[in-house]
Amino acid sequence: MSDAALRLTDVRIHDAVGDRDIVHGVSFELTPGKVVGIVGESGSGKTLTCRAVLGILPRHFSVTGGTIELAGRDTSGLTQREWTGLRGTTVGAVFQDPASYLNPSIRIGAQLAEVVRVKKGLTRREARRRALDLLSSVRLREPDLVYRQYPHELSGGMLQRVLIAAAIAADPQLLIADEATTALDVTVQAEILDLLTELRERTGMALIVVSHDLAVVAQLCDEVLVMRDGIVVEQGPTARVLYDPRHDYTRLLIAEHEQYGLDRFRDAAEPALSKELDHVG
Amino acid sequence: MSGAGLGTARLRRAAARTASVAARSIAIFVPVFLVATFVTFALRSLSGLSPAHLQLGESATPESLARIEHEWGLDRPFLTQYLDWFGKVLSGDLGTSWYNGADISRLLTEGAVISLSVAGLALLIGVVFGFGFGILAALRRTTWVDRVITGAMTFISVMPSFVVGIALVAVFAVSLDWLPSAGWVPAERGFGLWLAHITLPAIALSFDTVSDVARQLRAGLVAAYRENYVTGALVRGLGPRRIFFRHVLRNGIGPALTVLGLKFPNLLGGAVVTEAVFGMPGFGQFAAASAQRGDVPAVQGVLVVSIVLVVVFNLLVNLILARLTPASARGV
Amino acid sequence: MVRRLLALTSGRIAAVILALIALLALLGPLLSPQDPLAGSADILADPGPHHWLGTDYLGRDVLSRLLAGSRLSVLGALQVTVMALLVGVIPGILSVYLGRAFEWVTLRLADTLIALPFLVFAVAVTALLGNGIPQAMLTVGIMVSPLFFRVSRAATLSVARSQYVEAAIIAGASVGWIVRRHVWTKVLPPIAIALAHTAGVGFVVVSSLTFLGIGVRPPAPTWGGILASDLGFLSYRPWAPLLPTALIMATVWACNLLADAIRDVSGEAGRALLDNRKLRGRLAVAGRGA
Ligand SMILES: Nc1ncnc2c1ncn2[C@@H]1O[C@H](COP(=O)(O)OP(=O)(O)OP(=O)(O)O)[C@@H](O)[C@H]1O
Ligand SMILES: [Mg+2]
Repeated sequence: MSDAALRLTDVRIHDAVGDRDIVHGVSFELTPGKVVGIVGESGSGKTLTCRAVLGILPRHFSVTGGTIELAGRDTSGLTQREWTGLRGTTVGAVFQDPASYLNPSIRIGAQLAEVVRVKKGLTRREARRRALDLLSSVRLREPDLVYRQYPHELSGGMLQRVLIAAAIAADPQLLIADEATTALDVTVQAEILDLLTELRERTGMALIVVSHDLAVVAQLCDEVLVMRDGIVVEQGPTARVLYDPRHDYTRLLIAEHEQYGLDRFRDAAEPALSKELDHVG
Repeated sequence: MSGAGLGTARLRRAAARTASVAARSIAIFVPVFLVATFVTFALRSLSGLSPAHLQLGESATPESLARIEHEWGLDRPFLTQYLDWFGKVLSGDLGTSWYNGADISRLLTEGAVISLSVAGLALLIGVVFGFGFGILAALRRTTWVDRVITGAMTFISVMPSFVVGIALVAVFAVSLDWLPSAGWVPAERGFGLWLAHITLPAIALSFDTVSDVARQLRAGLVAAYRENYVTGALVRGLGPRRIFFRHVLRNGIGPALTVLGLKFPNLLGGAVVTEAVFGMPGFGQFAAASAQRGDVPAVQGVLVVSIVLVVVFNLLVNLILARLTPASARGV
Repeated sequence: MVRRLLALTSGRIAAVILALIALLALLGPLLSPQDPLAGSADILADPGPHHWLGTDYLGRDVLSRLLAGSRLSVLGALQVTVMALLVGVIPGILSVYLGRAFEWVTLRLADTLIALPFLVFAVAVTALLGNGIPQAMLTVGIMVSPLFFRVSRAATLSVARSQYVEAAIIAGASVGWIVRRHVWTKVLPPIAIALAHTAGVGFVVVSSLTFLGIGVRPPAPTWGGILASDLGFLSYRPWAPLLPTALIMATVWACNLLADAIRDVSGEAGRALLDNRKLRGRLAVAGRGA
């Protein structure tokens, strides 16, 4: 069947410098409108998996096993040019630290307009309209103003919205959000998650959400992958994994969360305490 | 209507920014200008140099010395002399040479035309080849192309311009006899002839610029390629060429441009030696000859002109930088 | 640090070349086989058993002149370096502590000095202070001092803002101890790099000035002067500039190589620090996630 937006089958990622596998066999399937979450400790290979899907693995890293199918198309033999064609229109992505993913010397509007002009072949004027529409569709107040601003003039939450706008500018079928809310404070984080949910419902795009935060995953995802050291230790429907974890590591993750006494699975709003705990950790 | 209003507002803002960059550059140099001229003036008084030595040599009697100093107004109080000289400088008059009584402004203009044609061509060579090599090395980073270019740039960076000049003369003028080894022909007497005479000196002068621009550009571009916004542009599906020209070059060019701004004084300094190698009666030769003669007003004129040239050039570079990377202009 | 420097191939090459040049400067005039000033009827001679490098247009032995000229070059480079060090480092350190106004003024001054053409100024000053290499080198030293100003300022800043110094002060460490323990280890490598660079600049400037005939009286032998006289007789002896050129370039190259080697060696400490910080960051995040 090829109605899946993305299908990973036993994907392995190899590091040529250390001569070792970093990711050992990840498989999942993502149909339009669905959300997959990936959780796991730092260095477990979440980002590398996402980058493999985007075809932007760092130097010396390569997919050495399994297949990645984007919209039914095997990506293993794609040329650079074909990848360029796929990115933006089929798959888009946003990351942590949104400020760094925008060119600091170009105005927000021009960067958005650039994407729609290149990817959708719009004229200058149409592109401007479309960019303004995009800015309002990610619920930025005063799109006209933001259009003329430089990245350093915006706050983190606003920048993440801009980044999302740029990622969805060419209507991709799949959006990858790699720790897109990690650096934001809790209220802004909640707003961004709401935005992602709304976009998913409105456009029917599929989502991959990578997070350290189980609360985020619980709120958003249909399916969860728990990764550790490049291995998927547990995988299944969100509710099942969170309420009936089978692997010790998953239990540990959940226990950590519960130990902090925050019922953050349902209610994600206790900034002061969680910040303090971060410092302790 | 409102669109036009927006346009003019933006224009006004751009103009204001340009003015502030310009003001800052000039504000830095004004005090230096004052201090430098004041110090040279003070040094002259202290050193007891006078036109009499130039004109009379060893035969100077105290009376003739006093007479000549009086003629030149050197017996007036120090500050009066300085203010007098400074006032004239502001109106473009640099005084007359102790050596032959000629108008220094005119001599310097004549020399500067020669030096600036050489420096201009050297700058052009420096920009073209520096950018070419820098970009090539950055695009082929960590390959043998990169290593060869980087090695060559390091090699030529340790070659002083007069050494390059001598080598060029030995090869292209003496051995191959392709280009003239010395002299200067004004452009009015034939563009080809003019170009032939300034080519070797310009190449000699450009080596340092080529290597520094290439190395800075390579470093800047390589650093820019590592930035997340390149990944950002990549995942938005922009092509490699667009990413290079619109995102990488724009942000990575800063250090190279800054270095280009800093190189200009070197071109002036290099002119002093290359002009000696190629026997060109330019600004540098004038400076060296005047210094050796002890012709103080001429030397002061040289300093004034070089400071002014440096200010103007720095101003240009700062303005370009401010346009390219608006964030840096605001000190963000 | 010296031992680690010599462990590097580039460091060893630089050290050997510089040691040879220093030896030339010390012993060169004594080693001269003939009087570098004595002319003979045997002008523009090719290299031979009597004149290893031939003779110049006055029949003087080129090898002797080259050897005799080395001291002047080395002394000139040393003068520039010492002058720049003295003029640059002290304001650089003070600019961090003496308040806003001083900081502003020194920063502007440094920016401006470095933007001016020092060779032109060196030439000009010899007109005012009398024709001599020390006068010219004094000027050049002052004009390149911003390099030292910047590195010492940056190093001081990083020390002043760093928490281990604060911690040491709180723990009651003496100023002397802090300077020895923390400031030197941070300030020394960048200053050593700047020193090596400046020495290279110094060599170029001395050769350029002596090439122009500035700073020395005609018969005195100098590397630049030899090149200048070679230039006039290129059609007779086109290979003549090779050796003096090679000597100047090797010296400058060795200085730059040394600077790079010091950077590599001291950069190690810096990189380790960075890795550590990343490591600690990773650990903190890991503690949060798992
Ligand atoms: N550019 C790179 N160069 C070298 N090693 C890398 C690189 N990127 C990732 N790695 C290594 O690959 C492994 C997986 O990294 P990855 O970034 O996928 O982890 P992650 O799960 O996203 O961690 P985090 O939660 O910290 O983002 C890690 O051990 C990391 O050290
Ligand atoms: Mg990651």
